[in-house]
Formats: sequence, structure tokens, C-alpha cells
Amino acid sequence: MSNGIVTIQDVEKEYSLGATVVKALRGVSLTVEKGEFISIAGPSGSGKTTLLNLIGCVDTATRGDVVVAGKNTAQLSERQLTDLRLNTIGFIFQSFNLVSVLSVYQNVEFPLLLQDKLSSGERKKRVESLLEQVGLNTHMKHRPNELSGGQRQRVAIARALVTDPLIVLADEPTANLDSQTGQAILDLMKSLNQQKGTTFIFSTHDHKVMRYANAVVRLADGKILGRESPELAVAHAVGMDAPAAPVQAAS
Amino acid sequence: MISRTVLLLRIAFRNLMVSPINLLIGALILFGTLVFVLLGGLLDSLSRSMERSVVGSLAGHIQIYSAASKDDLALYGQFGNDSDLKAITEFPKIQEAISKIDGVQMVVPMGVSGALITSGNIIDLTLERLRDLVRARAGQGGREELTSLSKEELDAQIHAEILHLRQIIKVLRGDADRAMADMLSARAVDPHNLEALHRVEKDEFWDGFEADPLGTLEFLENRIAPIVTDTTLIFLRYVGTDLDKFQHSFDRMKVMKGQAVPAGQRGMLISDLIHEEQMKLKTARRLDKIKDALANGRVIATDDELKRFVKENRSQTRDIVLQLDALKTAEMVKALQDALGSKETELDHLLSALLDTTDENFQKRYDLFYALVTPRVRLYRVNVGDVLTIKAFTRSGYVRNVNVKVYGTFAFSGLEKSMLAGSTSLMDLMSFRDLYGYLTADKAEELKEIQKDTGAKTVSRENAEAELFGEGAEVVAEATPGIIDPDTAITSTGRRLREDDLIKRVYSQKELDDGVMLNAAVMLKDARQIDRVIKEIQRVSDEQNLGLKAVSWQKASGLLGQIINVFRVLLFVAVAIIFFIAMIIINNAMMMATIQRTQVIGTMRAIGAQRGLILAMVLIESVVLGVLFGGIGMLTGSGVLGAMAMKGIAAPNDVMYFFFSGPRLIPTVTTGPLVIALVIILFVTVASTFIPAWMATRISPLRAMQADE
Ligand SMILES: Nc1ncnc2c1ncn2[C@@H]1O[C@H](COP(=O)(O)OP(=O)(O)OP(=O)(O)O)[C@@H](O)[C@H]1O
Ligand SMILES: [Mg+2]
Repeated sequence: MSNGIVTIQDVEKEYSLGATVVKALRGVSLTVEKGEFISIAGPSGSGKTTLLNLIGCVDTATRGDVVVAGKNTAQLSERQLTDLRLNTIGFIFQSFNLVSVLSVYQNVEFPLLLQDKLSSGERKKRVESLLEQVGLNTHMKHRPNELSGGQRQRVAIARALVTDPLIVLADEPTANLDSQTGQAILDLMKSLNQQKGTTFIFSTHDHKVMRYANAVVRLADGKILGRESPELAVAHAVGMDAPAAPVQAAS
Repeated sequence: MISRTVLLLRIAFRNLMVSPINLLIGALILFGTLVFVLLGGLLDSLSRSMERSVVGSLAGHIQIYSAASKDDLALYGQFGNDSDLKAITEFPKIQEAISKIDGVQMVVPMGVSGALITSGNIIDLTLERLRDLVRARAGQGGREELTSLSKEELDAQIHAEILHLRQIIKVLRGDADRAMADMLSARAVDPHNLEALHRVEKDEFWDGFEADPLGTLEFLENRIAPIVTDTTLIFLRYVGTDLDKFQHSFDRMKVMKGQAVPAGQRGMLISDLIHEEQMKLKTARRLDKIKDALANGRVIATDDELKRFVKENRSQTRDIVLQLDALKTAEMVKALQDALGSKETELDHLLSALLDTTDENFQKRYDLFYALVTPRVRLYRVNVGDVLTIKAFTRSGYVRNVNVKVYGTFAFSGLEKSMLAGSTSLMDLMSFRDLYGYLTADKAEELKEIQKDTGAKTVSRENAEAELFGEGAEVVAEATPGIIDPDTAITSTGRRLREDDLIKRVYSQKELDDGVMLNAAVMLKDARQIDRVIKEIQRVSDEQNLGLKAVSWQKASGLLGQIINVFRVLLFVAVAIIFFIAMIIINNAMMMATIQRTQVIGTMRAIGAQRGLILAMVLIESVVLGVLFGGIGMLTGSGVLGAMAMKGIAAPNDVMYFFFSGPRLIPTVTTGPLVIALVIILFVTVASTFIPAWMATRISPLRAMQADE
């Protein structure tokens, strides 16, 4: 295994719920290379979100190493973890998580303001170009609650990408969208991945979504079952998930 | 950095719009700030105007008095008593030391005290006049205006006074008859008095006057004068002071009637308010008050107080009737009959009719009263030019009588109607010292010398009374105080001469400075230096062993000076309660808001916001809330104050004249309360939000991943 952009080695994650200990991840190893468009799939409770949290530096492993962009997260302070998130990772959330009191433009600008690296002119150019890429340059002054779910997720995608991060993490990005809108979002993500070479890691338990990935990492009960092609993964997934709808082709 | 602050402000403003509870908090902060700025501003203005009143009327900027005094100095009295101060005898030294302090303009020696003055009843006064006339006729001296009269003129005046006395006796007899007619009050009439009245009513009694005028007068004095009980005791509070310095230092003081006391001379200026309120003929005073009230829009028909005044005026005509002799009575009856178109022949009924004032006829009757009645009677019990006999208990426990000439009346401009400022009259230092009766060491020595020379007895305190009233006691009197009561000791003629002499005498500044005083006002060039100069005075006093205590005008005015502070404390308590409630609500609201915004805050943390930013975000939100609504409160408060300043606030009553330092309070908007308000708001908002803000910083970025609950 080469030194990927994300390297996870024998990682265990335990949550303690009172006296009992829940083992969310039990010895997971995974390498993600730059530019991958990778899906983490598995049934509910299998540990998808837990894994993304570790990669996203919002949580640390109980045991094992998580190395993101060359940094071992276990050795970083809270402050350094925050900086790492700000500068190398973009987040897309299942429920969009936009700041409702800020406009579309301001939501996208937010991470740039946190970084405080660019002048306001550069920021403006950057934000506008991203909003154009997600097709929302006409809605810059809107508030999130004036947008549809799909539009909101586009704003979230623009926000995740505005800092030009190495990795974009998306935890079930289409779960709150109808399937058509979901597909459009995945198309957008995919095209951005192809244009910019940004690494995308997204979780799903929906095999329609898995199809978009270059590779699918299948999780079950806190363990990686394997890293497979989407077709294989979908075939495996049919057996364990709810009755599959007729498979639709990716765009 | 700047753009990040802008972002946080933007978030803060927008979050404020979202939550309706912020309106409640805002309203509370607005109200609290408004109350604080408005009432605080009013209190500040009040305090400043009161400062003008106190500083300008009696206290000066700083008061000094002996540190060994029993009481603290309370210039306006404390619980109705004057404070017991230890006398200061080294004024020249003190003055020199304090005048050297930078910023001191003048040191004005003072002593506040009070005494009863009797303005004798009408029969006393008439008898005294008659006695003077008789004495002048017999060539026994007396006032110049009498001794210069011819015998015929004196005879005529004596005759007129006799007629007046007989008129008074007739009125008294009438009173007694009426009392006898009533079974209940009949017992109250002393048969002894009745017998005396019967006797002096007869012509035979008066036929004997020429044979023995003084004996006749003595009988009247002993038997008839006591029947008239309307002797008035007037309590006169006075401040003994260096009158020239006083007039220069307290430039709001103005002479209302008469003139200032000539430089260096003995004499007094009576407070014009006391002169009007307590020394004026009651009927005239009531008419004045009704006139004032009508000018202020009140009406007799519906106003209980004014109705009472009219009723009292109608029934209490005796004060006037008693003052007139037969001649004047007849004159006035005629004049009133003409004026009122009445056929009534009894003067008291005519007066009663004249004084039956209504809203319609008031002005006419008022003018008639002042045209027909007042020229024929004594309008004031004490007039400019009178020599008042002031009785006071000296420090050594004796009653002393000191005669002081009244040169005029005075008031402090703007405070003409204020009883607080106007309750104190002014007296020269020499007379004050006589009344105070303190013996300085060298004066005592001097007195001893004189006594040795004349072979007079030294009167010890214990047996003074026996000595003084004992047979042939011969005691020396001294203008400067001693423990001897000179009035009792010297024969009347001698006394009179000596007093005339005293009244005319001009004292040097050294004589004025060299003697006892109780306190002194220190006038400054700049009122803002009070604290510094007080410290300096204390230091100088310690260095030179002067034993002084220096206090600000505020402290010196006793309870009065504390009133504003009491109100200020009340205001602070009220505002503190308002802001405390605001703090609790802010704390709760921000706690709720933080819990509600868990996901947003988690998201911000996840995408790279440090804890500090979250802390700032929550704090800024309530600071913005506070400053925004507090700002509106400040603007409104200042606006209202400004609007009030345009017209001023009218003093609702005479007491407030003092606090308003005039008829109107002109509030001023100062930055002081605004700055304090801002500090309070910042403190309140930050302190009340600190816990929720800290809580917010503890929200884990993991919360971003979790679906909304
Ligand atoms: N904060 C937590 N405290 C305790 N247990 C947790 C916590 N987060 C996750 N778990 C447990 O860890 C396991 C893995 O959870 P995780 O959320 O990673 O699953 P998931 O694959 O994302 O499921 P879903 O598809 O429902 O989102 C589950 O058994 C879950 O109950
Ligand atoms: Mg999950």
C-alpha cells in the first residue's frame, strides 16, 4: 500500500455508553489515493459515519493510526485538528447544515473568512465561480430556506469546495433528497472530482449511489468486508439491504 | 480579521431578528437604560442645582469646623436641632493658613444659632410708646424723634395713645362680656381680670393719668397687658458672619427691603421669606397668598385652602381692630363704608365684609385693603430700622438679650420662595458672639481688669442669679460676651445710650476676625477642586495643629445633602433589579439559543471554526442586542432630557425651589450617565452570556454529523 492521501491502519473506535462499550469500528485499514471518488457502503450501524468522522478529523481513533494529508491525527491538538479540517477537508452533510441566517453567498464565503487568506476581491471571485459551477450564481442573495433541498446541497458542495480542499467528505449526501435530485447532486460531485481532481469520500447504503463511485468500501459491523467495484458491491449489497429497485445506469 | 468581525456582527444581527425573546430582552435593556439615563440625568441636574443652592446660599464649597465638636456639622439642622459645635477661637491663624492653599478664594467665618424674638402684643407696644412719650415730655431723654417734639405735640400724641388704649380696652371688655354670656366659657374668665377691665374702662381711671402717668402705666402693664394673649414668639434662625465677606462670597444674595448692614457695623438682615411669612400681618399675608394662587390658576370657589384663607380673614379681624385708636377707627369706618357702600358702623363687621373675597371681586378688594387698611396699621411686626431684642441662651447657660438693628431683608436670587434657603437670617459677628456668650481667654482677662478697676463683684455662675437680682448688685457690662447679663445690671437710660453707641460703632477687620466662631465657609475658585482642597486643609490643619475638620458642602448640609444620594441609591437599586432580571432572561435565552443552534455551531466547528470564534459569536450577539437597545434607550433618555431642558421643569412647590435652585430645573445631558450606562450594558450582556457562550465552545464538531433532533 502506497502513502495515500488518507491512510488508516488497524483502527478501532469504541464508544462507551455508561458501563457498556460499543465497538463502532473493529480493526479497519484503508488507503484512499488522491483523486479517488470512493463510496463507503454498509447497512445502518455498520460504522460509516464513524469512519468518515475519523477521516474528517472531527473525532480520533481509540486505537490505530489515522493519517490525513501526511498528519497523524492522534498527535494533533484540538486547535491543529480544526486547522487541518479548515484547510484540507471539505464537508457535505446529509441535512445540508447551512447557516440559515446567512445568504447563499455568505454561506459559501464562510470557510474563506475562517481561513482569512484571501482579499475580499479574491474571495468574491472564488465564491462566484464556485456558485456558477454548482449552477446557483443566480441565487447568491437567497437565504437557504428559500431554496429546494437539491439547491441547498449544491450550496453545501460549493462551501465544501471553496477552500480547494484535498478531500471532500460526504455522509449520505443524497439521503434527504429524492432520487432524481440525488442523482443530479452525485453528477455534480463527480464532475467536480473529474475537473479538479479533488478526492471525494462519501457514504451511502443506497446501491444507486454506489454506482457513481470508482470504488466501494463495504462495511459491516465495524469491519471492512472489502474494496470492490461498484457493480460487485451492488450485487453484494442486494443480499443484505432492502429489496433493490431496478438498477439505473449512471449518467 | 475585520471581515470575520463583520461576519460575526452580521450573524449576531440576523440571529436577533429570529428570536422574539430578544425583543423582550431588548425592551428590558431599553427600559433600564432609559430609566438610568433619564433619572440619572435628572438626579445629576438636581444635584448640580442643589449644589448651587447649598453652595450659594450658606455653605460655600467647603465648611470647616472644630474636629473636637460633639456633632457633625449640619448647616440646615439635623432632626430639628442645630449641631453642637466646639467654638473656634483662632480664626486669624486659620484664615491665614487656609487662604494660602491653592484654589481658595475666601474664608467666611460663621456661626449658626437660633433665638426667640418676641414682638410684644399690641397693648405692650402701645404702652411702650406711651411711656416713651411721657418720658420725653418730662425731659428724661429718649429717642431723638421724640425729644425734638414740642410739649403740645407730645401732649397730642399722648392723648391719641390714650384713646387707642381705651379702644383696646373696649374690645377686650367686649370679648370678656361675650365670654360671660356663654355659660361654658364664663368659668374661664378670671374675675380678677374682669375687675381690672371694669376699673380701667372708667373715665375716673384716666382722669388720674396726668397726676401719676407712670403709676397708671404700671397698672396697665401688670394687670391689662397679660389679658391680651396674642404675643407672638418668633423663632429666628440666624447665621452670625462677617457680613461684608458674606455678601461678596455669596453673590446670589440680594437685599430685598432696606439696605445692607453698613461695613463693620452691628446689625442684621432678616430673611425676606421669614419677614413675609411670620412677621407680616396675617390678613395681608393670606391675601398675598390668595393672590399668588389665583395667578397660578387656582380658584377660591373650589379650593379648600383658599376658602379657609377667606374664612380666616373674615373672622380674624381683631389683629387690625386692636391696632387702631378711636380716631383711626372712625376714619377707617368711614373709608370702608364709602368703598363698600355700606351703612354698617362696626369696624370688625366692615372688615369682615371687605375680606369676604370671591374670585370675582378679589383684585378690587385686595387693592382696597392695601389702600385703606394697611397704611393705618403695622403691616409687619418687625420693620426695617427696628431694633430687635434677641433673647438667647448663652453657652454658659444664661439668657442674654442683645439688641440688633434690622437694616433690611434679603433673599438668594432664585431661592426667594424656598424655606430651606430662606429660613436663616444674617447677623453681624459681634452680635452673634454676644449672644453666643463665649469668653475667650484674653477677653476674660480684660473683663477681670475692668472689674477690679471699678470694684465690681465677680459673678460666679452658680450664684449669678442671686447676685444679679440681689440688692444693689453692681456689675460691669461689656460689649463682648461675658457670663454677666448686662441688661439686668445697667439702668435703662444707660443701657439705651450704650446700645445706641454699639449700634453706631464700626468694628475693624481685626476685631471681627479676633473672636469666637463656630464654622467657616471656604469659597473656591473652581468647584471641581473640592476634594483636593479638603485634603489640603486637613493636611495644613494637622501640620499646624489647628484641630479642624473640613467637609464638602454636601456633607455640611447634613441630611439634606444626602437626599440626592439616597435617590441615587434607589435609582441604582431599581436599575440593578431591571438589569438583573435582564441578565437572567439573557442567560436563559442564550442557553436555549445555544442548544437550538447545536448543529449549526457543530457545523461551523467541523468546517474549521476555532472555539474562540464560537465564543465571540455568542458574546457579540448579546452585546449587539444590549448596545442596540441600550443605545435606543440612551438616545430616548437624552432626547427626553433635552426636550425637558428646552422648557425646564417647573418646581411643583416651594420646597423644590431649593432643589431646583430656582423656579425651574433645566436638566442637562452629560456624558457621565451615558458612559456608565454603556459600561453597565457591556457588563450585563457579557456576564449573562458567558456561561452559554462557554457552553457553545464545548459543542463538538461531531454534532454536525448528527441529524437534527
Ligand atoms: N456517539 C456515539 N455514542 C455511542 N455509540 C455510537 C455513537 N456514534 C455511533 N455509535 C454506535 O456505533 C455504531 C456505528 O455507528 P455509525 O453512526 O457509524 O453507523 P452508520 O453506518 O453511520 O449508520 P447509519 O447508516 O444509520 O447512519 C452504531 O452501533 C452506533 O450505535
Ligand atoms: Mg451514519
